Amino acid sequence: MDLALQQQEIKFDAKPKKFVLWLFVVSSTIMFGGWTSYYIVFSASKGKGHGLVLPDAFIYSTAVLVASSVFLFLASRALRNGERGFQQLFLWITLALGLVFGVLQFQAWSGLYHSGAVLINNNAAISMIYIVSGFHLLHIFAGLCLIVNSLVGSYREIPHERAVYKQEIAAIFWHFIDILWIYLYVFLLLNS
Amino acid sequence: MSTISLQDKHHHDSHDDHGHGHHQETFLTKYVFSQDHKMIAKQFLITGIVMAVIAMGLSILFRIQLAWPDKSFPLLETFLGKWAAGGRIKPDFYLALVTIHGTIMVFFVLTAGLSGTFSNLLIPLQVGARDMASPFLNMLSYWFFFTACVIMMGSFFIQTGPASAGWTVYPPLSAVPKAMPGSALGMTMWLISMVLFVASSLMGGINYVSTVLNMRTKGMDLWKMPLTIWAFFLTAILGILSFPVLVAGVVLLIFDRSFGTSFYLSDIVIGTQILPNEGGSPILWQHLFWFLGHPEVYIVIMPALGISSEIISVNSRKPIFGYHAMVYSLIGITTLSFIVWGHHMFVTGMNPLLGGVFMITTLIIAVPSAVKTFNYLATLWRGNIRFTPAMLFAIGLVSFFISGGLTGIFLGNASLDINLHDTYFVVAHFHLVMGSAAIFGMLAGVYHWFPRMFGKMMNAKLGYLHFWVTFICAYLVFFPLHFLGLDGVPRRYYAFTEFEFMQKWLTVNVFVTWAAIIAALAQVAFLFNFFYSIFKGKKAPQNPWEANTLEWTAPVEHLHGNWPGEIPTVYRWPYDYSKPGAEHDFIPQTVPFSQTMSSNLPHDFEGNAEAERIQKEWEAANKKEEKTDLD
Repeated sequence: MDLALQQQEIKFDAKPKKFVLWLFVVSSTIMFGGWTSYYIVFSASKGKGHGLVLPDAFIYSTAVLVASSVFLFLASRALRNGERGFQQLFLWITLALGLVFGVLQFQAWSGLYHSGAVLINNNAAISMIYIVSGFHLLHIFAGLCLIVNSLVGSYREIPHERAVYKQEIAAIFWHFIDILWIYLYVFLLLNS
Repeated sequence: MSTISLQDKHHHDSHDDHGHGHHQETFLTKYVFSQDHKMIAKQFLITGIVMAVIAMGLSILFRIQLAWPDKSFPLLETFLGKWAAGGRIKPDFYLALVTIHGTIMVFFVLTAGLSGTFSNLLIPLQVGARDMASPFLNMLSYWFFFTACVIMMGSFFIQTGPASAGWTVYPPLSAVPKAMPGSALGMTMWLISMVLFVASSLMGGINYVSTVLNMRTKGMDLWKMPLTIWAFFLTAILGILSFPVLVAGVVLLIFDRSFGTSFYLSDIVIGTQILPNEGGSPILWQHLFWFLGHPEVYIVIMPALGISSEIISVNSRKPIFGYHAMVYSLIGITTLSFIVWGHHMFVTGMNPLLGGVFMITTLIIAVPSAVKTFNYLATLWRGNIRFTPAMLFAIGLVSFFISGGLTGIFLGNASLDINLHDTYFVVAHFHLVMGSAAIFGMLAGVYHWFPRMFGKMMNAKLGYLHFWVTFICAYLVFFPLHFLGLDGVPRRYYAFTEFEFMQKWLTVNVFVTWAAIIAALAQVAFLFNFFYSIFKGKKAPQNPWEANTLEWTAPVEHLHGNWPGEIPTVYRWPYDYSKPGAEHDFIPQTVPFSQTMSSNLPHDFEGNAEAERIQKEWEAANKKEEKTDLD
């Protein structure tokens, strides 16, 4: 009985579930694609974009997010090498950087707000900055949950395959939202 | 412990959860928060049927208004209260009726009810999997759908009534809460419901794609999949690629409505009050909406096409004609459906060149559609046809797909569309090609797979009654509407009495309404048959239709994990019907070629030299035997 259970545990198939996440990544990309295409068509027809100098907080937040991705990569590598202590350390750093990113986004919004570029705006391009960064932040929140999930798994010392699975879905999603943010930021920079 | 325990049970972290999931299912885990794909399929089906009955009832209400605009029906006031004060439906409520009828039918019945039911039921059973890639997500998908239904129906019970801007909810009508009663809270509920609905569709679709790609049984390569699975698979891909765009659009609409942004609004004056919103464009909503909206009509029709491919082949006792062509035309439709959305917007002041591009892509989509139609006809041609109710509905689908599809070629022409846009011609077109065709596909599926779902047979005689009345009445309802449209009668108008050129159509409206009422009554035969047979139907045999696909090898009694012991291996494609030389007129996918030596054909072996050699040796030996027998 125990043996049978153990064998089933080994047979745990993460592939379809990881694939589910990839498909979610695709559909999420398309949602942001919808907004950026709105932006392109809007600014082409009106002959104007948001026309702002984006707040510096966005630069810092981008740097922080890239750094967090690096640490998450290190965490995955530590897990592969069986060093759970290091994995936990790097995950904590990723988590902290993720939170810092959130704070910086709020700072960027407040900077925008005080410069007069508010959400309720007759220039829809400016409202769009809030929409895309806001919905990206929702994704960050989901990503933080996945990181916590992996961290909890790591502390509970779950079997290696399952730990790898949890770490991988956190990593896939987190790297995705990292790249997504870079895309959005560069998009907003280029289409001012 | 059974050997059928599932890989998917393992997202529980503790081992204790494991055993109890199988052996002591409570009512709650078995019937309500079930993670079993077969139960979820039934949940989708029954919710879909309930929503379909509601939406059909709404259509009868507005048909009554159209047929007898000056007559008073006190009964209506009894049921609808202030929305039918004096026994006549109020204009605002009329608009709400057509809006919610369209929304429910397109999204809740023909998307969730159709894909949700049959993808859930058939994908694991026909590809040979224990369950979906993520059963939990699957369960969530149903409950999001259910919540969306409740919220949508809830809008009937609020002061200002449900959304009334048409199922496409174009701004500014949908974006300015003060525009009309239906633009207030009802519209907000519509949007919330739709966000939940999209979330449900995405969870479902993602699951379907992952299951089809990752969890097929041994031997089931992509080209051995039944056409149902191909259709569900490509439908799910369409959903994943297009629904997020609707969410993007809906989010902006919510911000416009509730927070005061100007994504879609500009220069609006209500009465004497000028709205502050400026700079937005309602056309952008149309772009975002139809980028989903057009793939959506294929999300509706493709599963129905897949279902009828299977049913027509089984009941013609013939291989489906042009299996590969069927798959490639589905792929063609999937791809093309993303670049045709502009044909809904020919009259928005679109650049004529752009209109021309959308026109060409639209007309090209007729090619794969025609390939499918001809293949259905060629499959039927000289088949050994068994007219089961499911078969009749599948043939009905082909009929509607042809008669409705032809008018699509008219509407796809930018120059013709300027005249026909927003008339009853459009209404007639899509009610035939996607409304009636898809619902017939769904009904065909219900009749065909009812034994698989409930272990009981439906009554065939009631099925025939249901089919003939519905089929004839559907044509009687929608065919005359073409002529209204050609005469320029616009859709969504409350009454035809105020316009002289429309008055002559009032008698036609009376005729159409009677046909609609009879069609609605015919559904009682179905509803009775459906619910009665669940409890009192004849017990279903293992393989009632003598079909080849895998789902008929699973035990009639449902069990979690579908097959006791190992999942069957697949050796051949699913369409070996009436194969020359074979013992029976069907050879299930699980029968290896070594057991059907007398009917194997050279191309069955796909170039496997060893198998061909064995076959040749067998044939040579057999010929000798035959000769000696003759001597």
